[in-house]
Amino acid sequence: MTDQLSALTTIFTEFYYWVTVVLMFLIHVGFCMYEVGASRYKHHQHTLMKNTMLIPLVTVTWFFFGWWIYWAFPTGPGIAPSIMNESTALITDESAFSATWYTATSELMAINLNDHISGVFWAAFLLFSWTAASIVSGAIIERITTFAFGILAIAIGSVFWTIDAAWGWHFDGWMLKILGYHDAYASGVIHAIAGGFALGVLMVLGPRIGKFSSSGEPRNIGPRNPWLVTVGLFLIYTGFWGFYAACNIPIFDLGPEYGMEGVTFWTATNIYVTPTTLSGITFNFLMSLSGGLLAGYWIAKGDPFWTYSSGLAGVICASAGNDLYHPIQSMIIGMIGVVIAYKLHYWVERKFKIDDAVGAVAVHGYAGFVGLVICGFVLNGYPSSGYSVGAMWDGTTYATINPLGQFLGAIIMFVVLGLIPGYVIAKVLNGMGKLRIPREVELAGLDYEIMEADKDAEKAVSSATR
Amino acid sequence: MATVTNWIDHLNKPAEEVVGAVYPGAGSSEGLLVILGIVLWIGWHILTARQESEKLEKISRKRRGANDYKSNIANW
Repeated sequence: MTDQLSALTTIFTEFYYWVTVVLMFLIHVGFCMYEVGASRYKHHQHTLMKNTMLIPLVTVTWFFFGWWIYWAFPTGPGIAPSIMNESTALITDESAFSATWYTATSELMAINLNDHISGVFWAAFLLFSWTAASIVSGAIIERITTFAFGILAIAIGSVFWTIDAAWGWHFDGWMLKILGYHDAYASGVIHAIAGGFALGVLMVLGPRIGKFSSSGEPRNIGPRNPWLVTVGLFLIYTGFWGFYAACNIPIFDLGPEYGMEGVTFWTATNIYVTPTTLSGITFNFLMSLSGGLLAGYWIAKGDPFWTYSSGLAGVICASAGNDLYHPIQSMIIGMIGVVIAYKLHYWVERKFKIDDAVGAVAVHGYAGFVGLVICGFVLNGYPSSGYSVGAMWDGTTYATINPLGQFLGAIIMFVVLGLIPGYVIAKVLNGMGKLRIPREVELAGLDYEIMEADKDAEKAVSSATR
Repeated sequence: MATVTNWIDHLNKPAEEVVGAVYPGAGSSEGLLVILGIVLWIGWHILTARQESEKLEKISRKRRGANDYKSNIANW
């Protein structure tokens, strides 16, 4: 920063991401409130602590290796060459944006007077990691051990989502080049993968005791504190707005970036460095939220739990293309996603006896998957990157957005990087006897001992005379 | 351990030549710190897994019913 303009641009960008991180913290506050509100009284405190402890676990592992994976893996490795060094190997050479900048021992991973961006950008991605892990947390409440959840949270938060981000959410990612993958606000790279991962874990974990009758009919174990759920989801909406901002680069001159001589075009861009505006995505965020709420209220016949969740599902479904959609397109896409997610949730519950306690697989997984597929049709023919335009499967250029590429991308997110790893890790933990709490504890309540101690303390206090 | 002992000396050169890393032990301690961090992280898993197993075993030993917790609700 040797002149005032570059200093202002840099420090504005630093402050911009810093603010998004603070806003996104509300997502986690919301998830904690929501999960506690959805759990039964005897499991409240354990449910809260399980979701809270993913914060330090994902944070430290994100510092040790998660952030490095994002910068190292855009080429696959071995699938498509990097535009920086034309190699298909892991990006660990001396290229610009090499992963070597972000090993845990790097001087950029600390206070550095020459670097105002690494920490806030690292934190913005970290908050996405918490979200991915927290989505899984809600689905599996009241019967998983904290140890198992910690391992699963690290797996989704610091390994699998960051691989998918390198592949499909990086300007150099192979999925953009080979498939024309486009997912501006993370329908797939956060939501579909986390929903798929949760489903994989649920397949091994099994339902809560009493969820299904002996004839297989599902019983409703509804939210125990609707107000906590309500405020929680409002906070998630609020944090999600910060998430949208964090997915953008706030100020960028695309002329020199795209190699156009003498052209200056200052704009905000999405994560792929293609132009959009904060103004435009604000239209789309609110219209897709509204579409989700409208459809949710209708399909769930006014049920508040599903209506609130549907607002979220509406945004999630439209997110893949919300950098380019018309607001009414966003609204309609949000509505379609909600109807499909709602129907699929109950079909899967009945057919496969899957007990997704908060509807996370539906709201995040199915709505995210559907959103990617719809994006392939609505944005068919748009460039997936500003750096070049080429044919699908070519790999040295960027394919345009197309329905097949988006569908394959959705499979990669939901199944390959979500469901399969979730299932396999849960199987291993189950094999070790570490996945599920004992039946007696599930019946008595994970908080039984704390509650008993509280009762004894309360007895002593209430019988005291001074 | 101090990387900077005088800010005027440290910053008194063209901006691009100022050494950026200013935390204690910059350039020499990062490897050790990362090893220490990883030991603490893994150690935490081991310690808390043990704690959790003991707690679960203790609760399950008494075989309480699904409604027994109601007699423990203290926030009247």
